[in-house]
Amino acid sequence: MDVTLNEDQTMLQDMTRRFLEDRSPITALRKQADNDGGFDRDVWKDGAELGWVALFVPEDNGGIAESAGGVADAVVVAEELGRVVFSGPFLSTCAVADAIARSGSAEQRDAHLPGLAAGDTFGAWCLSGRGPMAGMDAGSVTAAQSGGGHELNGFAAFVQDAGDADLLLVTARDGDGISQFVIPAGTAGVSIEPMEALDLGRRLSVVTFNGVKTDANALLGEAGKGADALEKQLQVLLALQCAETVGVADRAFEFTLEWVNDRYAFGRQIGSYQGLKHRLARHCGHLEGAKAAAAHAATAVQSGASDAAIAVSIAKSQCGRAATEIIRDCLQMHGGIGLTWEHDIHLYLRRAVSNEQLWGSPAAHHERLCQLAGV
Amino acid sequence: MLNSPSPSTGEVVTTEDRDTDEQRAFRLKARDWMKDNLPPRLPDEAANAFEDLELVARDRELQTKIHAAGFGGLQGIPVPVEYGGLGLDQRFEDIFFEEATPYRLPWHFGNATNIVIPCLLEHGTEEQKRKYLPKILDGTHYWAQLLSEPSGGSDLAGVLTRAEKRGDTWILNGSKVWTSGGHICDMGLCLARTDASLRKHAGLTMFLVDMHHPGMTVNQIELVMGGADFCQEFLDDVEVPDEDVLGEVNGGWKVAGTQLVSERKGMARGWFVGLNRAEVLDGIELSERYGMIAKHVGVEKDPQARQLLGEVFVYDTVKDLIGKRINAGIRNGTFTPEAGSISSLMSSVFDIDRTRLLSALAGPEGIAASPDEGELSIGIGMSRVTTHRIGGGTLEMQLNLVAERHLGLPRELGPAPDTPFNQLKANKTAKIA
Repeated sequence: MDVTLNEDQTMLQDMTRRFLEDRSPITALRKQADNDGGFDRDVWKDGAELGWVALFVPEDNGGIAESAGGVADAVVVAEELGRVVFSGPFLSTCAVADAIARSGSAEQRDAHLPGLAAGDTFGAWCLSGRGPMAGMDAGSVTAAQSGGGHELNGFAAFVQDAGDADLLLVTARDGDGISQFVIPAGTAGVSIEPMEALDLGRRLSVVTFNGVKTDANALLGEAGKGADALEKQLQVLLALQCAETVGVADRAFEFTLEWVNDRYAFGRQIGSYQGLKHRLARHCGHLEGAKAAAAHAATAVQSGASDAAIAVSIAKSQCGRAATEIIRDCLQMHGGIGLTWEHDIHLYLRRAVSNEQLWGSPAAHHERLCQLAGV
Repeated sequence: MLNSPSPSTGEVVTTEDRDTDEQRAFRLKARDWMKDNLPPRLPDEAANAFEDLELVARDRELQTKIHAAGFGGLQGIPVPVEYGGLGLDQRFEDIFFEEATPYRLPWHFGNATNIVIPCLLEHGTEEQKRKYLPKILDGTHYWAQLLSEPSGGSDLAGVLTRAEKRGDTWILNGSKVWTSGGHICDMGLCLARTDASLRKHAGLTMFLVDMHHPGMTVNQIELVMGGADFCQEFLDDVEVPDEDVLGEVNGGWKVAGTQLVSERKGMARGWFVGLNRAEVLDGIELSERYGMIAKHVGVEKDPQARQLLGEVFVYDTVKDLIGKRINAGIRNGTFTPEAGSISSLMSSVFDIDRTRLLSALAGPEGIAASPDEGELSIGIGMSRVTTHRIGGGTLEMQLNLVAERHLGLPRELGPAPDTPFNQLKANKTAKIA
């Protein structure tokens, strides 16, 4: 994705690609989808040993954060996961690990991070409800002081990987502020209802909080003062998701190029017709734009640059829209075979369309850009 | 500032910490000299404006001055000493441009320095290099590219301008068009047909042509958007001595290839060297102008207008990020120089998209304005409402380049490749000898 990867990142990329080709190629997703099953926990465990989550976790809690490049490294993994439309809980678990590492108390870090880093436990982030700003704005869950802790009420929708999660990160409206909590998924009053999802490798749920009582240990950071942490968490998640989307589009574009070179019609390779090649040239340009925007976002988020908030929204709009548009048209170029269940391209298209809308639609990020620009 | 369309006069960022002692000495010498001798870079002053004869004349003096001070002239630092340059490696030129950030440079020499210098270095005879290169670097010669013709621009190898040899002299007849700044140029690289019985690409020769020859008529072309930077030339028995053939007779296509590659490299790196520097990482800054337009039109709270604004922010930023990415990739070998065509293509694509969005944003305010409304109004200029992309290679040619050269897709089929040029189908008006 980035044209200026360092030596470690190139190694990470090679290692991840080889691991996934061996252990979780696109056929793995097909098998899981056919069996209506979840993801392969053995693959996740071995992936975790390669450092997938540990990149966000400090050494004291079983991670490698101090000696690694954080988001800048994790996007390398995310892109590779995108190329095989990986179905494991990478985004969610990394986002939760990052949030706890960033804002958690020593007790919270000790309690949760080692399991997440080792691939033994999973997290899911309950951020928002439904509506145009879904995936970006908190507010569908409310927190109120109750005893020594809080009581949570409301719901979060489109929650990735909640069904598999051991831990829930809950972002809630608390008076005028934002409070965040880390609670076990099995806490009384929490119900998790799976949604039917377009993406065959994405498990989404509606998580309902019905008078959920949390104790003081559940509060992440200070009560009512979680807005800054929320913004940082969102930036990390968006940088990862954009990189994943780039991997999805890049791979689909690759095999479409092979297809238009191999396929003949009217005595010529179909890729020689301007009707196709001009479209592919535009797609190439937009894909380069997605790569450039995602790489810039990752760098900006990792370095805490002042333009990080803008950078992730630019990247989300460009990656989300370009990937969907490119893969839709790639399917068209495949002709009839592209409409068959047997061909892989629909798996890529499902992931792209799903990613485009999750964690803020392009429209939601355009609105956010206006706000960031002071309009 | 990524979204800034005009020259940045902001903080100077240098790579000073990487300097060797020799480079450091060069840097300090340049810094010291520039302080007293170069004019400031003005944000409102165009890098290139061939119509502005005063600016063109000032750039000529500036080039002379930089050369005389021992800095080789614009882009002369890596040119060998015997041809008027300094013969130093690229790093010294990078240093020079870093230090020159706050100043005006003679950017009207861009054609000569980006295109003619590489062509002469690669294809020129020793005599040609010694005669012409120093004159670019010391400000004597502005150069034009005489390529496109009224019969067509995209199909460059189809040129009709004829060159016939009489004794030791070539006689050129025909017409060239879309020549940037032809009216101010002293010399031109002119592609002409020397043998129409050979196949299209084989019968061409490149000439070094005196733009002041009495047989050369240069007319400025008035454009729909205003401005007349481009010219059309009529060549009536323009004489070129045999020693001013560049490359082989009937080998002109090879020289034209170098010309086009140099142009693409220049475009990819940033045409006006020293104006934007690839190695400096800037953050994204969203332009205030669009929000001001929205307020002026009264739609800043309208959800649909805010979507348009958001999209424009994305287009502007991604366009710049692609340019930086491709640049960096070409520099470190991730991409071949052909990838420069992606930056050009996407620059066109996003310009067209932006124009369309701003027009939608402005509504009727974009088609008429009261005389007193001034800068804030989106204005009624044609450049705001046309969505053309023709100059520097049409959008369709850029799409071909990306598809065929970068993605490696197969070419379209044409007539048999060995068909003699005079047997090809052509425009009804074409006179093919």
